[in-house]
Amino acid sequence: MAQFISDIPQVFWDGLFVGSFYALIALGYSMVYGIIKLLNFAHGDIYMVGAFIGYTILTAIGGTFHMLGLFALIIVMMISMLITGVIGVVVEKLAYQPLRGAPRLAVLITAVGASFALEYGVAAIASPNPRGFPVRLDGDFVLVLGARVTIPQIILMLIAGALMIALDTYIRRTSTGRAMRAISLDMKGSLLMGVKVNAVISRTFFIGSALAGAAGVMAGAYYGKIDFLMGFIIGLKAFTAAVIGGIGNIRGAMLGGLVLGLVESFGSELVGGQWRDAFAFAVLILFLTLRPTGILGERVTERV
Amino acid sequence: MNSRKRTLGMLGVATAVLLATSACSGGLLGGGGGDKTDSGPIIIGMIVPTSGSSAPTGASMANGAKMAVDEINKAGGILDGRKLELQIADGACDAQQAVASANKLVSSGVVISVGGYCSGATLPTLPIFDKAGIPMIIPAANSQDLVKEGLKSVFLINGTGLQQSTAALTFIKKQGYKAVALVDDNTSYSVDITTETKKQIEADGTSKVVLKTSVNAGESDYSSAVRDIMGSGADLLYWTGYYQEGGLIIDQLRKAGYTGDIMVADGSADPTLATIAGPAAEGVYATMTPTPNTIKGAEGWIADYKAAFGDDPKPYSTQSYDAVRLAAAAFTAAGNTKTDDVIKALEGIKDFDAFSGPLSFTPEHTLANGGFVILVMKDGDFQLFDNLQ
Repeated sequence: MAQFISDIPQVFWDGLFVGSFYALIALGYSMVYGIIKLLNFAHGDIYMVGAFIGYTILTAIGGTFHMLGLFALIIVMMISMLITGVIGVVVEKLAYQPLRGAPRLAVLITAVGASFALEYGVAAIASPNPRGFPVRLDGDFVLVLGARVTIPQIILMLIAGALMIALDTYIRRTSTGRAMRAISLDMKGSLLMGVKVNAVISRTFFIGSALAGAAGVMAGAYYGKIDFLMGFIIGLKAFTAAVIGGIGNIRGAMLGGLVLGLVESFGSELVGGQWRDAFAFAVLILFLTLRPTGILGERVTERV
Repeated sequence: MNSRKRTLGMLGVATAVLLATSACSGGLLGGGGGDKTDSGPIIIGMIVPTSGSSAPTGASMANGAKMAVDEINKAGGILDGRKLELQIADGACDAQQAVASANKLVSSGVVISVGGYCSGATLPTLPIFDKAGIPMIIPAANSQDLVKEGLKSVFLINGTGLQQSTAALTFIKKQGYKAVALVDDNTSYSVDITTETKKQIEADGTSKVVLKTSVNAGESDYSSAVRDIMGSGADLLYWTGYYQEGGLIIDQLRKAGYTGDIMVADGSADPTLATIAGPAAEGVYATMTPTPNTIKGAEGWIADYKAAFGDDPKPYSTQSYDAVRLAAAAFTAAGNTKTDDVIKALEGIKDFDAFSGPLSFTPEHTLANGGFVILVMKDGDFQLFDNLQ
């Protein structure tokens, strides 16, 4: 027990760090669900594609990287974000838009199809071998209350935080953001009021996929390994995070990601690491049965 | 929904039984053998993962088998000029997929199976092949569970978990480690080794097991396992899972300031471990059966492999190559491809010239000499460190 108490800061920090990855990916899930009520199961694979694009660019520029350092990594991340954003839009146009009026189950199935298409498409192009990322974020650490906090962790969390704040401002302050919120309340109504629904949905997919792509590059640079199935588990975890926070709610997705990270971290510390996934998904069931709207979920009565 | 699922499952079982019985009756008509014809190609089945995260190893195993088939065919085949024909089926390291592939191979008339990489996926295929009268030479999978049932038709040509644990203990004593942490990935094969190693270390008494835990495969963040290992005060970590997770754990463990030694079991003894773990992989030990690049005199074979497939041979490519050659030797010794004769021939094999050394079987159909050695990671590749002789 004494061991556990002295470990708390480390457990807390580890949970927060993993949680910020979950949060970045959960945002895309939540935005898409909020606007067209679709569980985009291909979203975790966009994260994987982002990592592979980052890998390809970094391998291509090779040795020049070390002179440019972190700055270059951020540039590469932005290029990856652009490309994954476009891929997200293409997936939407091909697999989801033609089914806009179809039963939700049909769209869910095409989402699973899109997920497998991306996974095995990448496996076919890049071979199923896992790759070591060409750039590895290494750095010193500082001790905060006994927790070992590394510089790369701090940098990645700052980037994640900046992206989330930018998104939040975008949704709340711009006219596109307002259009997104309007569509999520009433799609037909927005259409009648002259909102370009399809364009706004595309933009939602672009932003969500770009965030997942950023998370993919960050994960590659931090953990050092990428493979074509890397998006599967983290996609499910992000979905869980989105439900915990209240699916459809942007701030809820961020909160849900951090909460899930902490729940996993403390759960596996208390009952053993092999219980980590069991713990995470038990929490999903708990939320779905006891509070399906999540921590920050909107009241359903609003949508009459 | 649930009842429909169950019906589907029962349908699946029914089909499997039907397939097995039909193949079985064919076998009976042929006098207890797998095939009825005495001419035409001899079909060899091989289940290896060609999709999923172990696909690279599966591809390399298939290549090793192909090489042996091509060599034997070029030399004129066996049993009066009959050619060998290799049929690869995907096991995906997944029990359901492997069972489906086994049924497919049975119905396409294979007379021997030379596949099997993941023990968890290989185990459920054993009764299917056994009922169809198809002997199995398993090149890589090595869980003790595979021979627990005592099926006459199962032969393992990789050292077993038991033999690997013995090798691990020998090395632990030799190096004088005092506190050992055992971590597995919750798969049949991996748990097998940690459980057996724990038993042996405790029976021996010169060192202590300070931690035995499992992680979930397929994730990126192993901070909780890292904390456990750091907190246990271990001077040796023995990781028995596959290299994908192993590489991540080693990297994260070193970043967290772990200064003890690290040893991995054969599932992680792959150069890819170094591309994933980076510099942290230097000096990592491995319990492993000899790999192509640690076998003396295998340089010519490696060159042939590279010329044929444009890639370095990975672990188990040699075992797969040997499995096909062993099958051919058994057919030749038996003079036919009938199940009972082939099994008898395999049991009678004495000092067969394999990459892992002279090969003979114990009464349990495991290797008489497990042949495990200790490798060490140096400059991004595993090299021989100690042959434990």
